[in-house]
Formats: sequence, C-alpha cells, structure tokens
Amino acid sequence: MEPLKIPATGRTPEVDFDFAAGILRLSGESYPDDVATFFGPVFAALRSFLEKPGDHPVRFDMELLYFNSSSAKALMNIFQMLETAARAGRSIAVTWCYEENDESMQELGEDFAEDLRHVAFTLKQVPADGAS
Amino acid sequence: MTFNLFAAEEQAIEEARLLGERLSAVAPEVRADFDALVEAFKRSTREQRRLVRVSDRLQAQLGSANQELERRRQEAETALADLRDAQEAMVRAEKLASLGSLVAGVAHEINTPVGIAVSCASHLSDATDRLRARAQAGELSKADFTRYLTTATDTSALILANCERAARLITSFKQVAVDRASAERRAVDLSRYIQETLVSLEPKLRQGGHAVAVDCPDDLIVDSYPGALSQILTNLVMNSLTHAYGDGQAGRLTIVVDQPDPETVRLTYGDDGRGIPAANLPQIFDPFFTTRRGEGGSGLGLHIVHNLAVGALKGAIAAESTPGEGTRFVVTFPKDTPPKNTPEDPPPARDDRA
Repeated sequence: MEPLKIPATGRTPEVDFDFAAGILRLSGESYPDDVATFFGPVFAALRSFLEKPGDHPVRFDMELLYFNSSSAKALMNIFQMLETAARAGRSIAVTWCYEENDESMQELGEDFAEDLRHVAFTLKQVPADGAS
Repeated sequence: MTFNLFAAEEQAIEEARLLGERLSAVAPEVRADFDALVEAFKRSTREQRRLVRVSDRLQAQLGSANQELERRRQEAETALADLRDAQEAMVRAEKLASLGSLVAGVAHEINTPVGIAVSCASHLSDATDRLRARAQAGELSKADFTRYLTTATDTSALILANCERAARLITSFKQVAVDRASAERRAVDLSRYIQETLVSLEPKLRQGGHAVAVDCPDDLIVDSYPGALSQILTNLVMNSLTHAYGDGQAGRLTIVVDQPDPETVRLTYGDDGRGIPAANLPQIFDPFFTTRRGEGGSGLGLHIVHNLAVGALKGAIAAESTPGEGTRFVVTFPKDTPPKNTPEDPPPARDDRA
C-alpha cells in the first residue's frame, strides 16, 4: 500500500504513514481550519490499511506537541480504530510523546490510553526544543 | 459534598445498570445490545472528560501566552521610551555641538579685524615713541611731524573701522548665540538675521570658495523663534558643504525668501551640488539617517531642521533634489508664530540679553 506523506503546515502536523514498514507517525502541531479536510484523507488511508489482513506489527508514533479540541477528538477516533484492529489480533504499539516539564500533556496521554486494552501504549518524554 | 462536573452522566450510567438488570429478567435477548449501547455512552463520557481537559489546557496556554505577550509589549514600550529619551539627549547634544562650532566660526571671523587693529595700534605706538624721542632730543622737524600726523590719521582710522567691525560681529554673534541657546521668541528683521547667521559660517564658506546669494525682501519682520531659524539655516548650509560638493568644488548656495501670502514666509534654500539619490530622499529627515556614518556624520542635522521647522516655527519643510543638479529645501512658516499650546522647548522666562 502506498505510503501517505503530508508535509506540515503552520496549522497542520506532518503525516508520515509508511504502511509497508508498519510505521505511522504524526508530528508537529494540529489546529486545522477545517478538521474534516485535514483528517478525512488520514482516516481513509488508515482505515483501508487496517481493513487489509496482515500480521506485520504496527507502530504509531504520536508526536503532537500542540493540538486543539477537534484534533483531540480525531486522535481518540484514531486510537479507537487501532484498538479495534488490535482486539482483532493485530500487534499495535502506540507511543505518546510529550516534552519534558509538560505534565499536562503527559496526563492527557495517560487519559487517552484509558480505553486502550489491546494496544500497547507507551509514554515517551522528549527534550523541549524551546520553541513554543 | 464535592462538586462533580459529570454527576448527571454518572447517574445515567447507574440508572442504565439498574435498567440492564431489569432487562435481563424481562427481555434477556436485548441485553447484549443494551450493554453495548451503555458501553458506547460510557466511552463517550470518558471522551467528553478528555476533551474538557484538552480545552482547559488550551485555555491555560492561551492565558500564559497573553501574559507573555503583555510582558513583552511592556518591555518593548519601555525600550522605546528609553530610545526616545536617548534620541532627545542626542539631539540636544547635537544642538550644543553646533553652538560650539558657531562660537568657533565667529571667533575666527573676529580674529581678523582684531588682529588688524592690534598691528595698527602697535605701529602707531612705535611712531609715537619715535616722535617723542626726536622731540625730547630737540630734533623734531616739521616734516617728521607731518609724517607722524599722516600715520596717526591712517592707523586710527583703520583701528576704528576694524574695532567697529569686531563690535558688529560680536553683537550679531551674541544675538544669534543667545537665540540659539535660549529658544526665545522675538521679532527680527529676517534679511539682517540671515546675514548675521551667515557670518558665523563665513570661515567654512570661504575655505571651500563657496558663495551664498541671499534674496530677501528688506524690512520683513518675523515674530518667531530666530534661534530655530538660525539653526535651520546653519544645518542646511553645513549639510550642503558636507555632502553636495567634492574636494575643490566651489558651490553656489542660494537663499530666497518670499511671501506666498502676507501671513506666511517661504524660505527656499538651494545648492548646486551632486544632489540626493531618489532612494534616500524619503529618509533624510529621519533621525540617525546618514550616509557618512563613521566619518563623523550623526544623522541628526536634517532631523533637527525638520523638528524646528515643524515644531518651533509651526511650519513645514519639503525637499526636492535632482541628482547632478542640486538640492532644494523649502521651509514655509507663519510670519508670526502662533502661541504654543504645549511647549516642547519652552522659552525661559528670564531675559539675559543685554
């Protein structure tokens, strides 16, 4: 399956979904003008990837350092899709990155993991880059 | 009792649990679907809690960003105020410095007549000594006496003329210097005042062989701030001498005064130098704009001209230039300056003029 690569803009994160390798990554900041326009294609690609049978392990790196409420809801929907696939037997690992000293982001990660039973969830502290 | 934001949802979930138990008894075939529905509602409630946290986090970030913004805005305003203070201090220093060079210019001018008077007096003194010696020796001839009278007449005329010239220079200089330093308002004969101001510039003009042609109506009395007028003229001339001419190039400067209407005076100053590039023209009145930084240019000369024309004289100034042909400054100001409402440079109450 073709990889999905979308470069970051000022308001949308970089999408780097290497489906063949099973490595999916969202990084940057997310507060799109229209959440459906940005996340629509991301959801569609992810859904069709997860629908295809496969036993290759999947890794999802969530490196969003800033996101708005609608992006948060979109993330929860993505996690739900991953959880459903994991429950069906797919090996899926999610890494939630947060900058050091950003405790509220760490707590949000713990909250978001609440509904994940079959997905392996890890919190990962990354150095703050100083840019706000 | 603690406040629970999601009390209603929790109560609904509890009621659903009880309803589920009753459903098991009366309609066990729908129990699984019902449980799935309750599960979806529970998850939706959890998501709602998360979204509230995300939203609160964003609001907090916005708040601290605003605080940071406000702090930086205040820092920037403080820095701007400091800069303005420093700029005003530099403008004051520049005005003082030009007062110093005015003193030097006039001192140089006064030196010539005083020097002539001193050598004439010395010559007369020598001739008198010789005359007395011959008289005491009883050798004074009629021819000696006649020669002495000629010498005495010539030298005393020269001494008188040169002392008068020095006195005139001192009077005009004193007036210009006091006006310059005191920013005092008074009525002056503009034509004479222009001449008096030019006296202090004479050494610099003569040095480069520059000529100034003044065309100003006689008996044009302006009731204004002559110190500002003098400073404007000095700075314009110095600007031309610094920038307009190459080494050894003698300039022709012109000062034309006319009245577009009886209440208004228009002073047109021009040089025939190399001109100002069109790209620089919009910036020449900006403080610290200079093409000679590092060569002693402060970038304040024309800024001060602009400030005085607009501020003290309550007038306007415009500049036009044709590269290769010269530059013209047109200062237009009221013949009688309207009273100041908020004096930025209040004239001192004392009158220390003689």
